[in-house]
Amino acid sequence: MSILEVEHVQKVYTTRFGGNQVQALADVNFQVDAGEYVAIMGESGSGKTTLLNILAALDKPTRGQVILNGKVLSMIREKELSAYRRKNLGFVFQDFNLLDTFNIQDNIFLPLVLAGESYETMKSKLHPIAQQLRIEEILRKFPYEVSGGQKQRVAVARALITGPQLILADEPTGALDSRAAGDLLTIFQEINENGQTILMVTHSVMAASRAKRVLFIKDGQVFHQIYRGEKSDEEMYGMISDTLRILATGGDCYE
Amino acid sequence: MSKGFYFKLALQNMKKNKRTCLPYLFTCVCSVMMYYFMSFLTLNPGMDKMPSGRNVRSIMGMGTAVITIFSLVFLFYTNSFLMKRRKKELGLYNILGMEKKHIGLMLFCETFINGVVSLALGLLLGILGSKLIFLFLLKLLSFPATLGFYVAGKSIVRALTLFGVIFLLSYLNNLRQIHMANPAELLQGGNVGEKEPKTRWLLVILGIFCLGGGYWIAVTTESPMEAISYFFVAVVLVMAGTYCLFVAVSVAALKTLRKWKGFYYKTRHFTAVSGMIYRMKQNAVGLANICILSTGVLLMISTTVCLYIGREEIIAGRYPQEVSISAHHIELEEWEELQRAEENVLQKWALEQENPLFWRNVQIAVILQGERMVSLSEDDEDKMLTVGMEKIAGVAFIPLEDYNACMGENRSLEPGQALLFTNHKGLDGRKELVIDEEQWEIVEELPEIFAENKVGDPMLNNYYVVVDSVETMERMAEEKPTLGGLTYQKSYDLSGDPKVFEQAEDELSARAAELASQSKQDYYVQVGARELNRRNFYQTYGGLFFLGIFLGLLFLMATALIIYYKQLSEGYEDRQRFEIMQKVGMSKREVRRSISSQILIVFFLPLFTAMVHIGFAFPLMKRLLALMNLYNVGLFAVCTLATIGCFALVYGVIYALTARTYYRIVN
Repeated sequence: MSILEVEHVQKVYTTRFGGNQVQALADVNFQVDAGEYVAIMGESGSGKTTLLNILAALDKPTRGQVILNGKVLSMIREKELSAYRRKNLGFVFQDFNLLDTFNIQDNIFLPLVLAGESYETMKSKLHPIAQQLRIEEILRKFPYEVSGGQKQRVAVARALITGPQLILADEPTGALDSRAAGDLLTIFQEINENGQTILMVTHSVMAASRAKRVLFIKDGQVFHQIYRGEKSDEEMYGMISDTLRILATGGDCYE
Repeated sequence: MSKGFYFKLALQNMKKNKRTCLPYLFTCVCSVMMYYFMSFLTLNPGMDKMPSGRNVRSIMGMGTAVITIFSLVFLFYTNSFLMKRRKKELGLYNILGMEKKHIGLMLFCETFINGVVSLALGLLLGILGSKLIFLFLLKLLSFPATLGFYVAGKSIVRALTLFGVIFLLSYLNNLRQIHMANPAELLQGGNVGEKEPKTRWLLVILGIFCLGGGYWIAVTTESPMEAISYFFVAVVLVMAGTYCLFVAVSVAALKTLRKWKGFYYKTRHFTAVSGMIYRMKQNAVGLANICILSTGVLLMISTTVCLYIGREEIIAGRYPQEVSISAHHIELEEWEELQRAEENVLQKWALEQENPLFWRNVQIAVILQGERMVSLSEDDEDKMLTVGMEKIAGVAFIPLEDYNACMGENRSLEPGQALLFTNHKGLDGRKELVIDEEQWEIVEELPEIFAENKVGDPMLNNYYVVVDSVETMERMAEEKPTLGGLTYQKSYDLSGDPKVFEQAEDELSARAAELASQSKQDYYVQVGARELNRRNFYQTYGGLFFLGIFLGLLFLMATALIIYYKQLSEGYEDRQRFEIMQKVGMSKREVRRSISSQILIVFFLPLFTAMVHIGFAFPLMKRLLALMNLYNVGLFAVCTLATIGCFALVYGVIYALTARTYYRIVN
């Protein structure tokens, strides 16, 4: 059963003083099933971030539509949008986006507090997640006191705590060293095995090679995709590298 | 590279940073202009034409001193604030290959441009506006305007020196900051130290203690004399308390709120409380400055306005009748001679006495020792200073005969009996008054007496003892060390042409002084006359009023500038924070509401605190005004409320204007 459907999405930016039009997305089509772990790859400027913003309902497509769990995102009213996003989507960003005015625990609580939950409920929701992500010891600390890897795990916890339909991760390993990145990807795999659907945008081959499916975007279109099937991480890594090479040298590839 | 290059670079920088540079430049120009105004008024030869120009001049001199100190502190503070914001930019120059000496040169050019522009523009505006200001002052002083235009060369030189020094100091401070930091630090300069503020319990306790102490003094101080001596203690305590309040107490209170889970984890309070903790850390000193400046503005304007409006009342209180004469150490014949001279003068101006009062008295000074009074001799001045003014009282013995005549009553007293009036605590129901060894039986404590405000000074504790006969009074003069021996006093109103009152009174006063100096007894005489002193009062209170408005505006400008810079720097810091919140699932509306509630709290907290300060200062100020003969508490209350209202309005407008800048940055 597909949880996310992206149908003919096009995005054209018009520069502020009229005139120039830039096409970021031409015609994007794909579906994500519940429990999937999808990585989207592409070069800088290929439209990855635009796509992610549209999926996050932060931006609206010029044409086409995004359907999350049977609901068309662009039909949701502006007033309900934040609440909808809060309930159904979890975000993990490259630069963590933790608030330095809150300690770790309060950072994780933020979406729940916005949703108006009681302290006891929040506490009981936090416990298993904190255990899984190995951040129990740092709950009382402040973001500036912990490492990058820990910060990103906190961000994951914040994304998970609302029990979202879909986690959107934007270059989650981008600001991490290779060890912390490896740890984080392991965590992503673990939570995915627990049934969490994840959609990750990245241009790290290592990160993408851990996903169950990799989509490649070029010139605003889905250019190619690779399913993991029974392949090992190493095989995935090799296939992704090959595909990227073909992408970079400009060859056409049809499956 | 040529010198011109740095000059151009400096100009470009200023253009680029115009959001911060222009308000600073504007403040510099205003400071120079206001300094010139004040200095001009102090030195203006037109002042000499006023009968008591020296009085006004000394008030303006005081104003010049305040502006000097204020400009020094405030411009230096603003400059270093701006410098902190620019660290990143300068770090970039450093990394791009500019040496520190080059950056120094560039900064010198900037300071130089800023200095030249503000001095030139400030002095120009000052010179052009000085005539207007002078006319405005004359109007307040009820003095006819004079023609002619005057440029105070001395003021220009002084302004150049003062502001030259200020700009030089600012530049040196900028240099120091650059040389102390390495490029990496400069680059980070903008966002270091995001640590959570610690609760400083010592400061919390100190703050509560200082503020409480200041308030306690203000509320409990009873006598006007104490009010003077404790006023500055209270001011210093409240100032210190304000800083502690904003720096430490606020953080402690917010942290306590955070511990209260049921309150803290509510959508509305969650971001506000944690955000406020950081805001208080970064802005506490700035907010305390705003609060103290606001309190200063409010106090100054409310009291000076009140004095200015109430000046007629003050004069009426000080001179209940048109003319009052008191002659000390005088013989009866001399008194009669004085009266004849007086009649001659009045006749010359076709004036007549009305409602005349005449009474004799003997005044002594005593120390209050419990329920006893011990008289003081003139050699005991040291003692007077050591025991404190509140323990000293003046006692005047008045014969019953004169009391009856003045009050139109027909009382009788036995020897040893007396009537008493006092502006002091009174006898608390006791029936006797002990002065040295002698005990007086008090038949009645009088609710009022004709002589109050006519004998002695309302600042002192006064006791009026009406004794049975002239002989008893004379005995007192012999037995005790008196102030002025046997004193004859009279007072009366005038009827006739009011226009000549002043001249007549002037002549009267001169004639009395002349007679006194000719006498072999060498008595001395005081003539108090309403018209003669009216101008004096008008000038003093008009001058104070002028100063109050003037300094009030200066402080208001400073307040506005601090608020503006706060909004600006907060905006840049908050932008990122609110972006994150939106990404995490806060709607634009929630973000906006959260922003506006925090901003409102931050900016109206100082105003609110200032109002509380004013509220507690009110009793103390009331007593200080009583020293200046203003007893109309109602008037003072109205002036205070009106001032607060106007100020709050202006403050709100400043806030609204600067908030726009803030929102523009955040969105």
